[in-house]
Amino acid sequence: MWRYFFRRVSLFLATTLIMMAVLFYTTHLFPVDEHYALSGVQQPTAEQIEQINNDFNLESNRFSQFLAYVQQRLSGNMGVSNNSQQQVYEELKTVLPASFELSLFSGFIALIFGVPIGVIAALSKNKLVQRSILGLTLTGYSIPVFWLGLSLSLWFGVNLGWLPISGQINLLYQIEPVSGFMLIDTLLSNSTYSQQAFIDALMHLILPAITLAVLPFTLIVRITRQAMLQVMNQTYIRAAEARGLHTLKIIIRHALPNAMIPVLKSIGIMLGSFASYGIVVEVIFSWPGVGSWLVSGIYQRDYTVIQAGILSVSLLIIFLSILIEFVHTAINPMSKKELYATY
Amino acid sequence: MTVFLKQRFHLMFVCLSGLLLSACSQATLPPGLVYCSEGNPESFNPQLVTSGTTIDATSHQLYSRLVNYNPDLGDIVPGLATDWQISEDGLSYTFNLRQNVLFHQTQRFKPQRVFNADDVLFSFNRIIDSQHPYHSVSRTGYPFFQSISFEQLISSIEKVNDYQVIFHLNREDASFLSNLATDFAVVLSAEYAEKLLKDGLPEQIDLQPIGTGPFQLTQYIKNEYIRYIRHPNYWGAKPDIEHLVFDITPKSTARIAKLITGDCSVSALPKAGELAVIDQHQHIKVDAKPGLNVAFWALNTQKPPLNDIRVRRALAHAIDKQNILDVVYNDIAVEASGILPPASWAYSKNLTSNEFNPAKAKLLLEQAGVKNLDIDIWAMPVARIYNPNALKTAELIQGDLAKVGVKINIVSYDWSVFTQKLASDDYDSVLIGWNADNSDPDNFFTPLLSCAALASNNNRSKWCQADFDHLLTQAQKTTVREERKAFYQAAEAILSDRVPLIPIAHAQKVILKKDTITSMQVRPYGGIAFAKIVQNPQESN
Repeated sequence: MWRYFFRRVSLFLATTLIMMAVLFYTTHLFPVDEHYALSGVQQPTAEQIEQINNDFNLESNRFSQFLAYVQQRLSGNMGVSNNSQQQVYEELKTVLPASFELSLFSGFIALIFGVPIGVIAALSKNKLVQRSILGLTLTGYSIPVFWLGLSLSLWFGVNLGWLPISGQINLLYQIEPVSGFMLIDTLLSNSTYSQQAFIDALMHLILPAITLAVLPFTLIVRITRQAMLQVMNQTYIRAAEARGLHTLKIIIRHALPNAMIPVLKSIGIMLGSFASYGIVVEVIFSWPGVGSWLVSGIYQRDYTVIQAGILSVSLLIIFLSILIEFVHTAINPMSKKELYATY
Repeated sequence: MTVFLKQRFHLMFVCLSGLLLSACSQATLPPGLVYCSEGNPESFNPQLVTSGTTIDATSHQLYSRLVNYNPDLGDIVPGLATDWQISEDGLSYTFNLRQNVLFHQTQRFKPQRVFNADDVLFSFNRIIDSQHPYHSVSRTGYPFFQSISFEQLISSIEKVNDYQVIFHLNREDASFLSNLATDFAVVLSAEYAEKLLKDGLPEQIDLQPIGTGPFQLTQYIKNEYIRYIRHPNYWGAKPDIEHLVFDITPKSTARIAKLITGDCSVSALPKAGELAVIDQHQHIKVDAKPGLNVAFWALNTQKPPLNDIRVRRALAHAIDKQNILDVVYNDIAVEASGILPPASWAYSKNLTSNEFNPAKAKLLLEQAGVKNLDIDIWAMPVARIYNPNALKTAELIQGDLAKVGVKINIVSYDWSVFTQKLASDDYDSVLIGWNADNSDPDNFFTPLLSCAALASNNNRSKWCQADFDHLLTQAQKTTVREERKAFYQAAEAILSDRVPLIPIAHAQKVILKKDTITSMQVRPYGGIAFAKIVQNPQESN
């Protein structure tokens, strides 16, 4: 197991290095001065140029430049934003939690609804139920997320006026950022309007979270259903049934844990597309997260923001997919067996 | 088994929908108002800018002026100056200042004294005295004051006592008081400036503003919001709203969405095409007021065949302005007969304009002896408050002129290239406009059509007439409003006769607001003001 762990860790490091090499290479392709692209300082003074030269080893060869680049970026020196002239790292710190909040909430919705519905689809003897669930998930899977986001905001926001469709909270609530998660911060806030602020933040979260949740939800339903169908045909399930166990107990204790393993794997595979969907959703709903920050950076040719956005998002995806793969192996006896058979 | 599961899900569904329903009940908001603004302010000092976005965020919220412009009656009313006298020769203006006016108090700065003459001296000497320690603190200069040659106009500012100052001018200027009433001529705190200079942070004066306005700044986060709180010791009528937030939302559709869903109560600059959506929502009101602007088609009077007055008159008769108003402006504009908008005090309804009459246009062209006329028309690529869609306007003009046998070619470039080329190139005609900085009617003539403007490339018609220039100088010299009005009417008549440009429309200033806002003033020019806004506490949804 330890060997496997170290193999994963080195895979993580190698992928990260390759990604940083690509970023480093493309940074030099930006149609602007090197100093500007790396640090974001507009019209740097002579001292600033020297500082940048020192930081990024610009006077020596490409390889040591790359090493300096990796060192600077990983230690948090992302430069200043070309447009706002504020530290990119500070901006990243304010936008990342908002994105986490949105994606965690969506993931939560997808799991809470996806797994039970997948189980129903697998166990139901009713053809109508089965087919309608499958039909609905296929539809959900095929709907483009930008269309869905716009339609939901048109129906529930503009036409019905039920839910807000833009931003994270009504700005009249003054919430001091503590954790960066708006829902938590509203509860921690000691203003008299703390509870109303929480409800308002929740209302703002609903539509973007549902839009973002559709993709993982449909995938989870379909994979859970397939896995359940397979597991329920296993002999140990029939043995449990023969012993007269309650069906619910069989599902929860014996079937689900095994069915969840392929679901976990598919979540890991889905992360990349989930992140790009997240960016689209953030732009549609003006959610102040990494996605809309990155997109506005791209529109304004904000080179340091583009680098930092790509770096942080891809680092996260690499890290999480490797983590999920590792957990998958750790809890799956089958793959553990494979490991020991091979090594 | 499925029955059991179904029961469980049923229960879960009920719980979740209960949670949602409880959330749906409208939350009560803290007392205050959110305004969806269109962009970030460049600075918090209106002296340094001309951009409307910055003026909106600063001038009427954070600061007060010596005198104010009353949009209803169009006259000058007291601000920080309670009254003023103008000397016989028109060269010195004596202001008596208001007493017991308090500056904002923040964590960084606790004012030790009330507003007095030193603050006035500081605020204006900063602009006119190039030796002043604060003169070059801002690297942007003072664009508005430079454009009206303020430095050359003022010879000195004299402090008589703590509550009286005299402005000595080098020459008579009837628009002086109007210029003091603009959004740019705000009063800063001299005490704060001294403290900052001592701390070695003079540039903070424009970033951490201290003023005497109805609101004070509490927090600004770029691209997100600006927060203000009511100034507890404001000298004027106490504002109704306690918290004021500017929600910075650059996308026009997003601003409308926020307005509909209640995230903001007032919203800026809607596009004409989006107003149809607003009509479907009963709780949103459109407030439109004629603005001080004009969109026009400038004809290059130095280039044949447009140097022929008959051709220019023919073009003026050939354009169906009403059609342009319907299509381009969605009726959020009034037809322009002259260059002065109805909101200006020098405007007169009696001005005879060149009416829409294609037959007359054909006749005039025949008289001029031109056939197969072929004209280039340059159209701005971007929306401006006076013309939301110049390309569309150009297409409509193209259609109108085809009917009288004139061929039009539409030319357009990117905005920056467009303005550059306009300064250097030999164009036939251009669709452009003008947005006034102040309420003085001179603002529509001298910068646009005088011989001096020819040198600064602002005179898009390349038109220079001695008699017209003489009229404008005479109008500047007198301070009697009726006389000035007569001069400007004469100037309008000349324009209508010689047609160096064809006025098209005066766009209205549009503000969207929720119906809970019971009283709000849309000013015809300059920035938005929230001090007098009254909000009905009852939520409409």
